[in-house]
Amino acid sequence: MTATTRPMPCPRCGTAMNHHADKLVETSSRRDAPDIDAALGGIVEETHACPTCGNVEFRRARGPA
Amino acid sequence: MTIPTSSPWSAGARAEPSPLASPLARPLSIPVVLGTTRKGRMSAHAARFVADRIRLRDGIATDVIDISRLPLPVDDAGEGVRSPEYGEAMLRADAIVIVAPEYNHSFPGLLKHVLDSCLKEYIHKAAGIVAVSAGSFGGTRVIQSLLPVLRELGLVTIFWDVNIGNVGRVFDDAGLLVDDAFVRRTDKFLDELVWMARTLRTGRETIPLT
Repeated sequence: MTATTRPMPCPRCGTAMNHHADKLVETSSRRDAPDIDAALGGIVEETHACPTCGNVEFRRARGPA
Repeated sequence: MTIPTSSPWSAGARAEPSPLASPLARPLSIPVVLGTTRKGRMSAHAARFVADRIRLRDGIATDVIDISRLPLPVDDAGEGVRSPEYGEAMLRADAIVIVAPEYNHSFPGLLKHVLDSCLKEYIHKAAGIVAVSAGSFGGTRVIQSLLPVLRELGLVTIFWDVNIGNVGRVFDDAGLLVDDAFVRRTDKFLDELVWMARTLRTGRETIPLT
């Protein structure tokens, strides 16, 4: 169901969410600097959707190990 | 021909219920965003008309979100000014209709201010534009200027638009439609938007990114 190596349970209903998108977010905030993927030029936010209730959640992706 | 039981297409391999069955069991949500705050706006007639056409369809909830009724602070931007009402509506939405008048060949600044207040809520959701203009070009320039914005927000735009040019002749003073051609045009636009909304919901909820 989910592409991420870190499954996300829906905070509303507990169903395993589907990781369906990675959104690149460009930022100039110094606070975000540690999370910037240098190759992509921004922060990658994972987007997850719940197949049971339709809830949507965002999570900052972890960089390559 | 006998299909080997090890085939991914064999009955044995499909014992699990299809994941495609569940996402469409819930009603769709397709709000209409009235994208101008200007007094005397004719776009309000267009927004009500489109919402009424959506309400004729089974299994779809809609409402007009009038950006003039949202709190719009201008001392911050982006998610810092998101109204809870707007954020919740976008979170629930499967698609949005944006009714946008053309002001000086582009979209109203406050519409952009509102659109920018969300991000995650939009991703892999469908968007269609109803363009409104007093002139004869039917808002083609507002559509062209709005498309790259919607794309960057993660919305998936459709290839049908509704172009309401000479809007003063399309609706009467009471806001009633006087040009029946817009019924068919709008319904074709909604056919495509609803298809895209269903398809994207299925994708969001059942098809992994990789």
